[in-house]
Amino acid sequence: MRDVVVRYPNGVTALDGVSLDLEPGEMVAVVGLSGSGKSSMIRTLNGLVPVTSGTVEVGGHDVTAARGRALRALRGEVGMIFQSFNLAGRATVLQNVLVGRVAHAPTWRTLLGAHTAEDKAVAYEALDRVGMLDRAWHRASHLSGGQQQRVAIARALAQQPRAVLADEPVASLDPPTAHGVMADLRRVNRELGITVVVNLHLLDLAREYGTRLVGLRAGQVVYDGPAADASDRVFEDIYGRSIRPDDVLGAS
Amino acid sequence: MTSPVAAAATRPAVRAAVVPPPRPRGRWKASAGWAAVLAVTALTLAPGIGVEVDLGALARNWQNGADKVVALLQPDWAFFPRTVEPLLETLQMAVIATAVAGVLSLPLSLWAARTTNPHTALRGTVRAVLDVVRAVPDLLYAAVLVAMVGVGALPGILALVLFDVGIVVKLVSEQLEAADTGALEAARAAGGTQLQVNRSVAVPDMLPGFWTQLLYVLELNVRASSVLGLVGAGGMGLLIDAVRSFYRYDQLSLIILEILVVVLVLEAVSSAARRRLV
Ligand SMILES: Nc1ncnc2c1ncn2[C@@H]1O[C@H](COP(=O)(O)OP(=O)(O)OP(=O)(O)O)[C@@H](O)[C@H]1O
Ligand SMILES: [Mg+2]
Repeated sequence: MRDVVVRYPNGVTALDGVSLDLEPGEMVAVVGLSGSGKSSMIRTLNGLVPVTSGTVEVGGHDVTAARGRALRALRGEVGMIFQSFNLAGRATVLQNVLVGRVAHAPTWRTLLGAHTAEDKAVAYEALDRVGMLDRAWHRASHLSGGQQQRVAIARALAQQPRAVLADEPVASLDPPTAHGVMADLRRVNRELGITVVVNLHLLDLAREYGTRLVGLRAGQVVYDGPAADASDRVFEDIYGRSIRPDDVLGAS
Repeated sequence: MTSPVAAAATRPAVRAAVVPPPRPRGRWKASAGWAAVLAVTALTLAPGIGVEVDLGALARNWQNGADKVVALLQPDWAFFPRTVEPLLETLQMAVIATAVAGVLSLPLSLWAARTTNPHTALRGTVRAVLDVVRAVPDLLYAAVLVAMVGVGALPGILALVLFDVGIVVKLVSEQLEAADTGALEAARAAGGTQLQVNRSVAVPDMLPGFWTQLLYVLELNVRASSVLGLVGAGGMGLLIDAVRSFYRYDQLSLIILEILVVVLVLEAVSSAARRRLV
């Protein structure tokens, strides 16, 4: 990311000159207060939010210049995980995971629902990796929050992505489930070598699971360094206030 | 623990005034809406401009009316065999029209909704055409189509299809726009084309509502197709026209009864189906 500025049509400047180099295989935790621009930053990485100025490059391709087919191919290589899971509730778990294959399938196959054996095999493998294979035929809306987020991770994995972006993936989960999902993300990062960028607002999760920590405040990077040795001081700097009990999740 | 008194004492004497953001404009719209409703109602009742509602006629002709009611209360059961064929034709027209309308409405609904069709011009065109389609009454379609393709079930079916598409697309596209867009965004983020996004995410989520609306227009079709025959568009209406012109209100009564039974059965079936869908 080079000098990225994102200004929304309503005049809010969400990112104010952000420059970052993310290395392949990193697990980057992005922290900052609500409204600091975490979601905006993660969304510029796959072109869901257009940048006002600056450039975003992913795997040697310019996201900011990409349109149409090129942009879709780029998005196909980057999985995305959302706070609210964003599954099609009335579709089955398997159908949801197969959504991760759209960039790899010709449109007519998707339209007819005629998935190739390979696509299905990839989907099953992704479900197996997050321990949800036995739920393949369940309706997504019938699963618990943690299970839905696992299915969402499987959907991202089914893309066979080079990177995964996660926007507050555990913010609507209880503590043990949150740790389970974060552990899944860490396995994705370690075992598959996939770069993971994860937005968090809980500092202990950021410290425990991130290899690198990026702190945002008012749309600017105010910290960038190893996550493990980021002290409470560092977080107080990022937040611009003292640490409060609700800034940590607590033990698993 | 601080006592309430102590807390009150430490509270600053003069609070910094909280400045609320300016209230958005457009709040007069609600009251203007009500005023318009009242004005229109008053206007339609005003003598000279509005509709003439002559309640006196009801009293003057009560004898006339009472005869008809008595006839209607005594259905002519012997007439039943002659109603079977038109009744079946009515049902066939309703089912065929619903099926065709279903096939047309599914893609049209996706095109008409903002969330599933970001292309403003295309969406506007689809909507404008459908507004026109919806504005024309089904009986008028039937009358014009009878003139175009001749007397029979075909113009009736075509009229019903137009009528149904107008309703289903309106209701389903509104349902689409009200639905959560998270899953659509996820499919877009996975690199899907708009068609792929709609097919893989929007369609599974919209189907239950879509079936519900189709069942609803099937009911409407049974009702409507019994009237379309009045202008020569097949079904029960032709028979209704005949018995009415011979003042056979006992036979008309049987026909009404049959339509009532069919509609009630349909309603029971569709509400059972709906319960399974949701
Ligand atoms: N689609 C949008 N249109 C207009 N303004 C937006 C939009 N999305 C975000 N903003 C604004 O941009 C700023 C940054 O928002 P962003 O969602 O990136 O923050 P965040 O760090 O993700 O916050 P949170 O922790 O609450 O999710 C906020 O002031 C927000 O109001
Ligand atoms: Mg956010």
